[in-house]
Amino acid sequence: MIETPSGRLLRGLLPPVLVMLGVAILTVIAVQLGGDDLSLTITETLIRLTVVVGLSIFVGNSGIVSFGHIGFMCIGAYVAAWATCNPMWKQLMLTGLPTMLQENQYPFLVAVAGGGILAAFVGLILGAAILRLSGIAASIATFAFLAIVNNVYSNWDTVTAATSSIIGIPVEVDPYMALAFALCAIAIAFWFKDTRMGLMLRASRDDGVAARASGVSILKVRLVAFVLSAFVVGVGGTLWAQFLGVLTVDMFYLPMTFMTLAMLIVGGMGSVTGAVVGTIAVTVFVQLFRAMEGGVTVGATTFALPQGTQEIALGIAMALILIFLPAGLTRSRELRLRRQRAATGDTGLGAPASLGS
Amino acid sequence: MITAYAGGVEMITRPSRTAPGVDQPLAASLRAENISVRFGGLAAISEVTLALERGHILGLIGPNGAGKTTLVNCLTGFQAPTHGRVLLADAPTLGWTAEHFRRAGVARTFQAGRLFKALSVVENIEVTGAGLGLSRRRARSLALELLAWLKLDDKAETLAGALAYTDERRVGIARALLLGPAFLLLDEPAAGMSDAESDELSSLVKAIPKTFECGVLLIEHNMRMVMDTCEMIHVLDSGRTIAEGTPAQIQKNKAVIASYLGGEGEKQLEIMEEGH
Repeated sequence: MIETPSGRLLRGLLPPVLVMLGVAILTVIAVQLGGDDLSLTITETLIRLTVVVGLSIFVGNSGIVSFGHIGFMCIGAYVAAWATCNPMWKQLMLTGLPTMLQENQYPFLVAVAGGGILAAFVGLILGAAILRLSGIAASIATFAFLAIVNNVYSNWDTVTAATSSIIGIPVEVDPYMALAFALCAIAIAFWFKDTRMGLMLRASRDDGVAARASGVSILKVRLVAFVLSAFVVGVGGTLWAQFLGVLTVDMFYLPMTFMTLAMLIVGGMGSVTGAVVGTIAVTVFVQLFRAMEGGVTVGATTFALPQGTQEIALGIAMALILIFLPAGLTRSRELRLRRQRAATGDTGLGAPASLGS
Repeated sequence: MITAYAGGVEMITRPSRTAPGVDQPLAASLRAENISVRFGGLAAISEVTLALERGHILGLIGPNGAGKTTLVNCLTGFQAPTHGRVLLADAPTLGWTAEHFRRAGVARTFQAGRLFKALSVVENIEVTGAGLGLSRRRARSLALELLAWLKLDDKAETLAGALAYTDERRVGIARALLLGPAFLLLDEPAAGMSDAESDELSSLVKAIPKTFECGVLLIEHNMRMVMDTCEMIHVLDSGRTIAEGTPAQIQKNKAVIASYLGGEGEKQLEIMEEGH
């Protein structure tokens, strides 16, 4: 049963390739079939997918639920606004910005990179302070971070325009652009999970005490994942800003936090496949209920669900999944093809027989 | 890896103990010097002195609550002693974390196994390699080598959570043995095992000092296994050392017999039986 190294490599590459192909094919089909409305929904979903996959880099591998990552999204989004808005507007409204930002307008990719880097930097400082904590204590600290970001950005008049909207951000993100970033995020998440850092972090998630006895510095491996995760979510924020063209602080607070966490939990926190499946499943679910709230015409009568049904239904669906499938729709496993491995007593999902040796 | 050919079958006689970029642990001794641990007003261990040397197996026995695991926690950085010192190669280890101890060559296993249940068997062992600074590729090849030595190579890809518990203990030992630590501390590896299973474990434990040139501390309640495996035995009761000596001396020691008599009757019977 010893595999050749190339067989192992192929087996390792299979899940990311399958997941990325699946996302790409779904996107292409939906864009080709749908109209402009659907194309907006698809772009939004793909940006959320980038954020959820980014979130899963930390949450999935460390086992610590973070309520703070939407704070990184906020940080990234505002960097995009600072970088790309019309200089005349910035000089008028955002007088506290450094002159360099006030007087210039930077291209799309510079804004994306800047947002990711600032989010990662803030993640480094925050993570160094709070990642000694474990479990619910760490989660509460991340929640405090979300509240701090919200408060700072709601009140820093001269830099964030406080609670007023920032308008006139050039709209650059279309479905295929969003797809490219979502695929990158998926590739990064799969890659990180299999690095030695990712392996040590997953070990610490299963048993922190035993991980320390194996020489693992838990703070260090958590911090690496936290910074990488903040970077990807920050990039997601820059995409969000350059998709909507308008920003307000309150976009990045509790509803967004709970929606992204719901997507991760529904799909399965422990796997990248879970993040992808969860994002798609929750989006489809929400869209269906929104359509029904809008009214479905059957013959001469129109049936409409009361407003707010969608939120209630999503809550019920999440509760049901937590009760019956606590590890999510994917049971926190990666996508693989099944192979009979009864002889070895292997209980995992194997690779196709043709790829083993 | 050193391989020998016996009757045409390739056998692994000794898994690798070095890898580029990892310092070979050289410490010759691990000592607890007069250590005490207090939790609030309660003394878990008091003024215990114990020395482990490379190449030897020391048994640590005592009734439940005697402080055996607390002592192991002190020797591996999981518990700082309230008084006294832990010396590795005669140098103090004040302020060392558990991971620091492991990198300096002090490895341990746990009573409950504590495997990484969502990882495969080979990944469980790879984690130690990664923790010691190896690349995944290198860690994996060393882990597979060690599994072959333990004759567990057919289980390499099994999820650790799905193992039978005798295998679970062996994987726990393999995780601690990667890259040949200077000292290995085994916390009740035979708990719940049948006689045949613990005999098998005993021969494995006896092979470790020769194969890895390391010193072993064995905590165990199974007296048959302790007497059979260890060269010297250290006895704790209520956190204090009550005896130290060879298995033969310990079996005759009045204080030891009394401490087990005061505890559980079954344990006392076991000792009496083994004495004959």
